[in-house]
Amino acid sequence: MFQILIKEMKEFFREKTNLFFFLLFPVVLIFLLGNLLVSMDDAEETIGEIKMQYLIQTEDTYQIMAIEQFIGGIEDNKNIFVEKAENLLVAREMAGKDEITAVVVFTGEPLEINVYEGSDRIKNRTVGAIINGFVQMNRSIAAVINTNPSSLKEGVSTDETFIVQKDLGVNRTMLDYYAVSMVAMLCFMSIIQGAVAFVSERQDKTINRLFIAPQNRVLLFLQKILGIVPKVILQISVLMITSVVVFKAHYAATLMDNLYLFFMFLMVTLAMVSIGVVIGLLIKISPMAIIMPPLSLMMFFGGTYSKEIYIVGITDKMPNYQIQQAAFDLEIFGRSQMASSVILTSIIILIIMLAIGAFIFSKKEEER
Amino acid sequence: MSNYVTVKNLTKKYGELCAVDNLSFSVTKGEIFGFLGPNGAGKSTTLSAITTLISYDKGEITINGLDVKKDRMEIKQLIGLVSQDIAVYEHLSALENVKFFASLYGLKGSNLANSAKEALEFVGLSDKHNMKPKQMSGGMRRRLNIACGIAHAPQLIVMDEPTVGVDTQSREHILGAIKTLRDRGATVIYTSHYMQEVEEICDRIAIIDKGQMVACGNKAELVSLVTDVQSIFIETKLTNSAKMDEFKKKQKLMPDIKAISIEENTVRIDVSIEQNSISKIIEQFLILGLPIINIRSEVPNLDTMFLTLTGHELR
Repeated sequence: MFQILIKEMKEFFREKTNLFFFLLFPVVLIFLLGNLLVSMDDAEETIGEIKMQYLIQTEDTYQIMAIEQFIGGIEDNKNIFVEKAENLLVAREMAGKDEITAVVVFTGEPLEINVYEGSDRIKNRTVGAIINGFVQMNRSIAAVINTNPSSLKEGVSTDETFIVQKDLGVNRTMLDYYAVSMVAMLCFMSIIQGAVAFVSERQDKTINRLFIAPQNRVLLFLQKILGIVPKVILQISVLMITSVVVFKAHYAATLMDNLYLFFMFLMVTLAMVSIGVVIGLLIKISPMAIIMPPLSLMMFFGGTYSKEIYIVGITDKMPNYQIQQAAFDLEIFGRSQMASSVILTSIIILIIMLAIGAFIFSKKEEER
Repeated sequence: MSNYVTVKNLTKKYGELCAVDNLSFSVTKGEIFGFLGPNGAGKSTTLSAITTLISYDKGEITINGLDVKKDRMEIKQLIGLVSQDIAVYEHLSALENVKFFASLYGLKGSNLANSAKEALEFVGLSDKHNMKPKQMSGGMRRRLNIACGIAHAPQLIVMDEPTVGVDTQSREHILGAIKTLRDRGATVIYTSHYMQEVEEICDRIAIIDKGQMVACGNKAELVSLVTDVQSIFIETKLTNSAKMDEFKKKQKLMPDIKAISIEENTVRIDVSIEQNSISKIIEQFLILGLPIINIRSEVPNLDTMFLTLTGHELR
């Protein structure tokens, strides 16, 4: 019963290419991508002090009040310091020399905001975000005024805390993103493993020896599949454990969620293996040539290599993107609905593909 | 002797192409049955049908009284296949390969270990049991291929060109091993392009061409299909022509002698294969005082037979 399983494991561990592609390569990718982009995280964490000067040149009383309220609200005297500029030219010169982060000039009617920035890209982005906040708030108020001005007089409270921060338990970095995207990539690359399992038997001509053995073909087929299961469990485990232990990546906050996440990845991988098996039974050429091009495109558009790649109408349709989303939903918010859908879909695919594969395998004749 | 394999009116078509056309033959238990034919003759297709690897359109195949179509599992247990292609796992050692394939036939534990060890010993690879196929020479890989096909002690061994591309030493080892298998009671169906091999080891030979049986029998039976004459060449010293004339006169009285010709000191005498009178000829030479320096006989070999029967060469 287990002879094929043992044989598969021996072959897997003795083939150096397998060890590289399925164990070492994803770990190295997490390290490379995670560390390459983790520097961006570091930059965001060390924005440092934002020193802004502002000048109000508008004469709109309402706008002046709004600006002063807003500036009063953002100044925390810890990281963000805001003061009135005495002279625009002097202030601009200071920004040019990076003595202050930026000078913001509120002018005209309707209001126009001019920002004179220094050279620190990260700090400039922060100033842009702050000013953008003001603009959005201003638009919201204008919208309320136009629709229901009296509502502004009622129930306005300045003491309420509008932002409630929720601690998600971990300090997330880009490594966390790549840890998930690499596991998702590995899941999909398992298609190759499924295909190779049968193509290699055919190429080695050993498949005919299996065919003439007094064994039930369906059981033989299932044993081959069973032989792949320990390998994929090992791959996912190695990748998840290495990324946590070595690279300090985070998955879900609780053990149960992590186990559920692992189970989801396992089911997806097995579904992919079963698809690969059917492909391997049907094609006569190298499975890499058939599988890798669409797989690479899917991973590229699905955001495996970068979270910055998002094309509306394409990215969110990619299976790997959906699996990543399900994983993030479980990891960050502890919501398992998407993961459950992924698991269910994977099981359905697995059953259908195994049935098709078993049928093809049982009907196969001699391979020459 | 009972028939172990019986093939009756076997027909296999691939689309319009009829690979095997109404082929019938039988293989006796414990014999080495040679299967000869050019490429595309239908040899491999027939063997594949016998080994359950392919289905067939018409006809009937029985092995040890079991029907190939109805009793597949029982039949598979009886068969060992040594294919033309070396079918082994490159990442497993010789012993692991043999053990794996034998385990598919239900062998377990010490029984499995002993069978695998014996099979490797049988093909002369016992000292190479830890070696992987990629580290082996062509001949060694061929021998490993045989070990994988026979470790479960099959009663019927189907060998499809098992000596292709091997060195003389390995070939001799393989041919010796096949004879030993036969002597142990196994029935062997053997195909090869090497006529000499087939002549050497096969008890009976079937010649097929274009999917049809051309001839089947032991070597003498096949020879009788193409000629009934055997040539005897006697080298002597023809110093006295009168003696030779006298010899010719006497030979005329022997009805099985078809013709006599003389070239230098060699006398060629064509005699009937069935009534081989070589001893009488030698006796006449001695009576007449003609010395016999050398004597040899010649019958058509398989190449000649094949050419005569099919109209073209084997390859």
